[in-house]
Amino acid sequence: MIKVLIAEDDSMSRRVLEKHLRDWGYETVSAVNGKDAWREIQKGTIQMALLDWIMPKMDGAAVCRKIREENLSRYIYVIMLTIKDQQKDVRKGFAAGVDDYISKPFDTDELRARLGTGKRIINLQNQLLESKEILEKLATYDPLTHLFNRNEILDLLQEECARADRETRPVSTIMLDLDLFKDINDTYGHHVGDEVLIEVASRMRKVLRKYDKVGRYGGDEFFVICPSCGLKNAERIAERLRRAISSVKIRTESGSIQATISLGCASSENQRQASKEYLAKTSDKAMYHSKNKGRNCVTLL
Amino acid sequence: MEIRDPIDYPSALQRIGNDESFLKELIDLYIMTFESKRKELLQALAEKNFEEIRTIGHTLKGSSANLSLLPLQEISFQLEIAGEKADIAKVAGTLELLELEFERLKAFVSAKA
Repeated sequence: MIKVLIAEDDSMSRRVLEKHLRDWGYETVSAVNGKDAWREIQKGTIQMALLDWIMPKMDGAAVCRKIREENLSRYIYVIMLTIKDQQKDVRKGFAAGVDDYISKPFDTDELRARLGTGKRIINLQNQLLESKEILEKLATYDPLTHLFNRNEILDLLQEECARADRETRPVSTIMLDLDLFKDINDTYGHHVGDEVLIEVASRMRKVLRKYDKVGRYGGDEFFVICPSCGLKNAERIAERLRRAISSVKIRTESGSIQATISLGCASSENQRQASKEYLAKTSDKAMYHSKNKGRNCVTLL
Repeated sequence: MEIRDPIDYPSALQRIGNDESFLKELIDLYIMTFESKRKELLQALAEKNFEEIRTIGHTLKGSSANLSLLPLQEISFQLEIAGEKADIAKVAGTLELLELEFERLKAFVSAKA
């Protein structure tokens, strides 16, 4: 339901407007003067406003100007209630940023129609805001595993390095990937491969600390950031991750699959400064050592 | 001369969506508002505050129009003009007419109940 603010100092007009709007399916909030109106608007839930032009404390024009000047999180459709035949009011109204006006005493059907126009615009805005949210999610998260995507996890690494220096505490990272994932895909198909990735992501999240961050780095590669963590602790976390994957088979639509991961850890604890490049490169190198050692193990560098 | 009813009942009903109980609520609200406005008017007249008289006349004109109270609407308009012209005699005279018409409205409403 669209929420409409009715700002009208005359109690009867206000009452009539409330009743009409509720009968037409709008949710209403009332204000008796401009100051109250502005206070309600700041709560952030109003989508449309019916502003009486002349009101005590702050008139309709001032309220409308404030609405347009402040960068509110959503657009508010404003209809001004004017006195008949006051053309200069109408001009001032549009200059103050109103979307439409209706003169008192208003024709009920006309009011309903003009509100309907506003409703269309608000619905358009809602669709836009929804799309924006979806796009933002896509830009940040991997759509399959819902972990951070590569860009985002690297940005986060930058932040954590800065924080580590600020708080003089080490940050550690773990690079890991699924052993022989290509074989899983070739044997069972990509669909099953996806199921495995989703399960691996889910198990990892369960054994990590609340403030650890995990992202999907590549096809079957993952990257974990462990803030306030030295190399020894990172090894403990890496072991937990390794066991979480290898100890229980992964159930898929093609049967249970035994998966394992190879992990490499690096830490900023012996570095002068926490460096994004150093941590990513070193944990990657460490992961390759694990691969060469026979997989399903953890290497520290 | 045809004497009009204080309220054009069918017109008022149609204007507010054909809800009789809601119309009654609004008329009661009007009567309450009028009584408080009347106090303000007497105060303004005593202080010779013509701007205030004009404003109250304007407001009453609007609310009367909302309920199709045509005689009251017209007299309120006269009051607004008298305030604008700072014509104290006219203000006093119009106030009297306003009172009379208001009593007529109350009588009409009681009779209908």
